[in-house]
Formats: sequence, structure tokens, C-alpha cells
Amino acid sequence: MYSNQRTTLSNYAHEQIQQLRRLHRDFPQKTDYPRNPEFRSAIYDIERSKIFSTLKNQNIYFNKAFYRKNGMIRFMMYLDDYYLGAKYLFIEIDEDKEWYSRVMMEIFTLGTIILIVFAIFGLFFVNLFLRPMKNSMVLLDDFIKDTTHELNTPISAILANVEMMDLTVMEEKNRKKLARINIAAKTVSHLYQDLTYLTLDHNRQSKDEWIDLKRLIEDRVEYFAILAGSKKVTFDLDLNYSTIFIDGIKIARVIDNLISNAIKYNKRGGSIKITLRKDYFIIKDSGIGIEAEKVNDVFERYTRFNSSEGGFGIGLNIVKSIIDEYSLKISVDSVLKEGTSIRVDFLKGTVDDK
Amino acid sequence: MISKLVLVLLLTLSLTGKEFKKKVDKKHNVYNQHCLPCHKHLPYSLEKIYMLYLKTFSGELTFKASLKAFLKEPLEETSVMPDEWIENFSVKEKTILSDKELDEAIDTYWELYDVRNKLH
Repeated sequence: MYSNQRTTLSNYAHEQIQQLRRLHRDFPQKTDYPRNPEFRSAIYDIERSKIFSTLKNQNIYFNKAFYRKNGMIRFMMYLDDYYLGAKYLFIEIDEDKEWYSRVMMEIFTLGTIILIVFAIFGLFFVNLFLRPMKNSMVLLDDFIKDTTHELNTPISAILANVEMMDLTVMEEKNRKKLARINIAAKTVSHLYQDLTYLTLDHNRQSKDEWIDLKRLIEDRVEYFAILAGSKKVTFDLDLNYSTIFIDGIKIARVIDNLISNAIKYNKRGGSIKITLRKDYFIIKDSGIGIEAEKVNDVFERYTRFNSSEGGFGIGLNIVKSIIDEYSLKISVDSVLKEGTSIRVDFLKGTVDDK
Repeated sequence: MISKLVLVLLLTLSLTGKEFKKKVDKKHNVYNQHCLPCHKHLPYSLEKIYMLYLKTFSGELTFKASLKAFLKEPLEETSVMPDEWIENFSVKEKTILSDKELDEAIDTYWELYDVRNKLH
């Protein structure tokens, strides 16, 4: 573009030389310096002294044949015949910004096209390379879904049969063995419930209804009684009547996980105090506690605070997801080696105000 | 008193102006006396010759130096006049003017036809 301007200015210069030749011939009958609306010009003699000029700016560079300055383009040409004494002819035009914006536009358009092409290729290759990984993940996901589903039947059978056994006719030794089977089956069952919730249930439509929290907590405490008994952990219940409008399975998962953790991370012979009021409940254990800086991490998936205990670290993550879904509020208060207290507050509207 | 002063001032200016005019006339005299008499009979005017010199030598200093050199030592080879002219009138004779007079005459010649003063 810039070189095109040079050609244009060179043509102007030749045109001006012809005009100067005519003027020189007709001088002094004609004395009007040749002017052209397309350009401005100046003539200087061999001693670089100005003869005549129509340039905007009189600063002249004799050592540059073609240059841009202050929004103007100048071209210099030497004359072989010094018409009117002129050795140097300068042609000046205003810089045409159109070529600049045209170049910028072309760069932008071309850049965008190249970017889109690269993006398409990138997407294609990313898909190609990630396909085996995706397939593996789908396979793994399917496997987990299938296995968890297949676990349900035998665990239910074990638990049902354990419940039906008549403990009164059983020897003390066998009663203890049966209690251990019961605990183990309930632990697996609890794990099964969490995994099922994560892989299958959490995407299902919620069936919200009024849940009697007092009765639910009492049921779950009874369910975990044998597990707590194995660590000689005692329950201290202070429950008032309260109802909450929520999905029954989901609130059960919340309470199960909180009680399960309170037992799991409790010390032998410890206690669990459960307080239920109209718009909140607190589950407080006398366990190992959590370091202050780690309290905020308890809801992260796969976070476990004691590797000697079983589990995958998914329980509190499930609790948090349910709490968030129902816009409830959960707060953790923990002192290391003294215990942890978890409080869940119900929002107005979820509790029965009657 | 003031009118006397004004009168003295006017008189001084008038005398200075006359002195200056005399000097200029004297300077131009060399050109008028030694150049014009011959050239006014020639078909090529002094202005045309000026334009020829200008087209050949461009700048003032080069112009004057070349013309002076030619007038002191006129040669066919150094003449800017066309061949037909040389054939018809041959080259002029060497100048009899001193360097100073020659410079004055050439200065007058340059000033008289300087294109800078005429272009507009």
C-alpha cells in the first residue's frame, strides 16, 4: 500500500516537471506556479535554496527520497534540466489512512478465520484424544452403578435375617458375633446408600413432604445403636417436636451421615448429644475434633480426617449438596481432641410454623 | 524647535535616500553601460539568456561563477547558447571589465531576472 503511494507520487512528480518545463519556456509571460489539487509541491535550486513552495510544512529532508512525517507523505525527485533553476522537486500529499485501516481489517478477518479453523481442529483432536478416557469413565460409571445395585439385595437379605433372629435362645458368644455381622452389614448398607445417592439418586426428582424430624432421628439413632454400642458410644437425645418440608430420602441421608460420622470419629466410651428444636438441630460428639484450618474442607469430596476409619470421604459432601439444594444452613464448630458440633438451621417456609 | 528637528530629519533622510539611489544607479550603471548596448541589438534577449543559464546552472552562486568565468574566457565549449547562435554570432570577446565591475554587472543581471521575485 505504502509503495503504491510512491508510484502515485512519482507520477505526480513527472506531471509537475512537464508543467515546470512549460512555465520555464513561457516565462516571464506566464508566472503562475503550477498547482494541482491532488498534491502540493516545492522546488529548490542546486544550492538547496527555496525557489517556490506550496508545502504545508517547510522542513525539508534532502537526504530522503520518500518519507512520511506528521501525517504527510513526501517524494523527492531530481531534475535533469533545471527548469526555473530547480534541481530538487518535492511532491507532498496527506497520508491516506484508508490503506492502514484496510490492512488492519484484512489482518483481523484473516486472524479470525485462522482462529476458527484452529478452534475446529482443536475441538476435533481433543475429542479424538479424550474419547478413550470418556469411554473408560462411562464404563467405570456403569460398573459402579451395576455393582451398587447388585449389592442391595444381599445386604438387605443379611440385615433382614439378622433382625429376625431370636436373640433370647442364643448364647452370649453367638449374640456378640451376630451383633458384629449386623454392624458390618449396616456399615456396608450405609456406604451403599451414599454411593447409590451419588451415582443414581441425586438427579431424580425430589418428592418433598412434611417429615417428622423427631421420629426420623429416633429411628436413625435406633438403627445406629448397635454400631455406636460397639464403640460404647452413648446417645443423649434432647428432641422437641419439629417437622420439615423436604424429600424423606435426602433428609435421611443428611442425618445418617452426620450420626455415622459422629460415631466413626468418636472416642471409645464417648457420647453423642442430639438436640432438636423447631428450626434447627445439632449433633455434637465428644470425638477427635478437627483442626481449625481444616474445618472449611470438611465438605470437600474425598476428604477424610482419619485414615484409620473406613469410608470414602463422600458423606459430608452429600450432606452439603442436599443442604445447598434446600437452601438450609450448616455450620461446623470443632475443637481438636474435644469434639465436633454440627448445626443445621432450617429456613422459614421449610419448617411447619403451626 | 520641533519643526526644526523634523526638517533636519527629513533633510537627512532625503540625502541618505539620494546617496543610496546614486549607489544603486552606479552599480546598475556597469550593467547598463557594458551589457545592454550590445545585447539590445541581438535577437536573443538578455532574459532568454538568463533562463538558459538558469536551466543549466540552477543556483545563484553557480550561475554567477559560471557566467563570470565565461565572460572572462569565452569559449564555444563553455557557452550555453545554441549551436545556431554560435554559428551566426560566434562567441563574444573577452571582457574588459575588472572583477569588481564584472561582479556588479552580474549581480544586477541576477537581481533583474530572478524568478523567485516573479513566481506567484
